[in-house]
Amino acid sequence: MNSHLNQPNALSPVEPLTLPRVSSTVSAEAPPSANPPKAEVRALNFFYGPKQVLKNINVTFFQHRVTALIGPSGCGKTTLLRCFNRMHDLYPGNRYEGQIMLHPDGVNIIHPQTDPVEMRMRIGMVFQKPNPYPKSIFENVAFGLRLRGVRGSELQGRVEQALRNAALWDETADRQRDLAFSLSGGQQQRLCIARALATDPEMILFDEPTSALDPVATAKIEDLIAELKHRVTILIVTHNMQQAARVSDFTGFMFLGDLVEFDQTQRLFTNPSQKLTNDYITGRFG
Amino acid sequence: MSQQFINQLTELQQHVYAMANLVQDVVEEACAVILQPDGALALRIVERDAEVDRAEVTVESEVIRLMALYQPTGSDIRLLCAILKANHDFERIADGAVNLAQRAQHLVGRIRADDWPILRAMAHHTRTILNHAVQAYLHRDVRQAQQVLREDAPIDRYYVEMVEAIIAATASHPERTATYLDLLSIAKNLERMADHATNIAEEVIFMITGQIVRHRLDQGSLAPAAE
Repeated sequence: MNSHLNQPNALSPVEPLTLPRVSSTVSAEAPPSANPPKAEVRALNFFYGPKQVLKNINVTFFQHRVTALIGPSGCGKTTLLRCFNRMHDLYPGNRYEGQIMLHPDGVNIIHPQTDPVEMRMRIGMVFQKPNPYPKSIFENVAFGLRLRGVRGSELQGRVEQALRNAALWDETADRQRDLAFSLSGGQQQRLCIARALATDPEMILFDEPTSALDPVATAKIEDLIAELKHRVTILIVTHNMQQAARVSDFTGFMFLGDLVEFDQTQRLFTNPSQKLTNDYITGRFG
Repeated sequence: MSQQFINQLTELQQHVYAMANLVQDVVEEACAVILQPDGALALRIVERDAEVDRAEVTVESEVIRLMALYQPTGSDIRLLCAILKANHDFERIADGAVNLAQRAQHLVGRIRADDWPILRAMAHHTRTILNHAVQAYLHRDVRQAQQVLREDAPIDRYYVEMVEAIIAATASHPERTATYLDLLSIAKNLERMADHATNIAEEVIFMITGQIVRHRLDQGSLAPAAE
């Protein structure tokens, strides 16, 4: 169910694309101030059964930077995000081609012999709706650490640190044994971020992390992302373009499975190079 | 972006056209006053300043409102920023015309424009450069805007010549110093009005290409904007 091919599928029923493509040279042209690459996507194609939803994606995500993926529904941005922690492996018939190299060791995330559980330790994910486990606040954060064999005072310390890093400790220090569901929606989402942070991931994937939150909770998550990028590399999918503009250093615009444009966020939102990008960000379509 | 935003952008454009046309009219009249000092016309120009000020505030308020309500991006944010900045330049051009007209009132019955061909040429060029800038602005014409940038240099040269001529005239006829200072002020206002027209052309280039070309004019060609 997870075949790994180095060449594009010649039998693909999908017509050749005429949309402007982003090549690997885009990331090579990134400003010198950019950090070293954390993940490099090379010639990535992805298929849900016979349907190709990612088409020859080539892009570099830089270390300790926030990269936003934007685009209309169905453009493939969430599909691309989910490739990073092998979420697609859970369903039969899904197929990857190409490579996603995670640095510094250069492991190919989507190679069949790469352990998805290990990848999920290195690359955490936060979903659209808060999804805490039906456990206490403490146990939610401790869960991944226990799987790694962390116990005792070290466990206590790392849970506290993760909650602090997720800006939730002050609100929950005296209610660690309360059920996670007793928290507000915004707090639950920060708990999920703490859970993702607990295992010291190198990257965190955010899939529309604030779409279910009110503006105040949204602002806290955005502030948190700005803090977290000093520790981890962040990839965020959002429908909220103002949010993408606010929180990210780089932005990729996707359309119909293509990465149409990838650039520094400021440039993409003020002077995109592709008309299609401009039409999308100015709301002329989508 | 919603159709509502696009409709409101269209409405804003109407205010922009009105502002540009109003300032063009004022400058036309100001140049006429130079060529033929006319106290009544000069007074009318001064009185029209309030009209320009109201038009400026209308455009500015509308731009701020659209930015606050719609958080525009891409070509929309460049358009609104360019309108906001050009709007200020238009207002400053009108201020220049008013200052010029006030000085021109002093000249009624004291000088003949024919005696000052440089001033005539300056007035003509300033009017032309403004008209070209307005055309570039209203038609979003980068080529025309680039032409405007090249047209500014002759006016600067005329101004230098004008200063030299006034120095010489003052030395010859010190009793007319007050009149010559009025002429110098008129020339300075024309030069500044042309500068503001150039600014408008720069905003047009930014609006269309996203390039900030201010301070980057190099021997008539436009250097690419740096990162």
